[in-house]
Amino acid sequence: MSACKTEEKVIEKPKYLRWVGDIEQDLTKDAKQFELCNTEAEAFQYFNTHKGFRYKGEKKALVETFNKKYRPLNGKKQNGWIRIRFIVNCKGEAGRFRVIQSNENYEEFEFDKKVVEQLLKITKSLKGWETLEHKGTAIDYYLYLIFKLEDGTIKEILP
Amino acid sequence: MIKKHYLLLTILIFSTVLSAQPNCEAFKYYGDTTKCEACKKSMEISGHYQFSKEFQEILDESLAIDPTYDYAYRAKSVAYLKSGDFLTWKKLIDKAVEYNTIENLGYRGWCRYQFFRDYEGAIRDIEKLDSLVDYDIGYSANGDYHLNIAKALCYKALGQKKKAVEIIKKQLEVKVGLYDYLHLGVLYFELGDFDKAEEALDKQLKENKLTEAKYYLGLLSKELKEQEKALSYFREAKELYLKQYRLFDTYTHPYDKIYLEDIELEL
Repeated sequence: MSACKTEEKVIEKPKYLRWVGDIEQDLTKDAKQFELCNTEAEAFQYFNTHKGFRYKGEKKALVETFNKKYRPLNGKKQNGWIRIRFIVNCKGEAGRFRVIQSNENYEEFEFDKKVVEQLLKITKSLKGWETLEHKGTAIDYYLYLIFKLEDGTIKEILP
Repeated sequence: MIKKHYLLLTILIFSTVLSAQPNCEAFKYYGDTTKCEACKKSMEISGHYQFSKEFQEILDESLAIDPTYDYAYRAKSVAYLKSGDFLTWKKLIDKAVEYNTIENLGYRGWCRYQFFRDYEGAIRDIEKLDSLVDYDIGYSANGDYHLNIAKALCYKALGQKKKAVEIIKKQLEVKVGLYDYLHLGVLYFELGDFDKAEEALDKQLKENKLTEAKYYLGLLSKELKEQEKALSYFREAKELYLKQYRLFDTYTHPYDKIYLEDIELEL
């Protein structure tokens, strides 16, 4: 019986949105001035147009911004990944930021607030998102940044 | 609006490429009728985008028929992987590995490397697979790398550069991959073995035109105080870069990738 319960837990019926990773607007935390240009049903993923990750100055510029602004929490056991997912609209503005966190074993984990808040603040301040087009129309697209952290220091930024 | 939405779905459905489609009848042949039924149900995902509600729900139904059907877990996991949801992805892909270790271990290892730069985890998976089979462990999901090359890049990232060189050399004796000589050349360059670096980078350029190979040849010439030659390589690197002859991945940034600014700083 216990084995069956384990299976049920993994395949329990979740309530799916249109697509995996979709972010519904929540005006209690989202900036009111951030708007999509097209409908929610037309929002893409960043890789759907096969142009890859687009940022002014490429990923190098983005990494340099974090290197400059992020203050590591040295000596603290802060290991794992933090993902900040958001939408870039047709004007290159970003909004609807959401955070998930895990330890180095991919298990849910809460990093020190100083780590998460810094990463979120810097991500929200980024101004280099490039717009993407599909069939000549500027689109809204989902994107994420993943920070791989070791002892509170950023070791990698993905994708 | 409807027309535009239709177009969106059309381009996405063509990108729903998964691992090889299972042969459902084969399960029945081996006496596993439950898995055969789960397999038939899972085939209904055809035509649905892998991120979509419909795609996920069909696979949930498949798993309700047979909760040990690895293909359904793996197929479900892809959208979570590509959206960066490491929590859900790992739970799903672990189930696929649990129920069909040999078919899924190399894939999980590659994904750990490509999407999360989980070098230790990728090495563990790839080496475990190698210990379980007596045949070639195969290639990355995108086909760009043999898993041994991916493993070598993970060792490099962990600081074990000499070990990485040995792994790549051994793999090159079997087959030359798309970018293997580039990574070998960069490793030799970083280890200070400039002759071998040049030889490897030249071999890379015989395989394909590549910004990164020219760039590292430029750095190498610079180290050897051959300024004119270096400049010429950097100019060629920029030209190739602008013509899109460079390392590229739709989802992530490949290892040893060079950015335009890197080149321009040398010009």
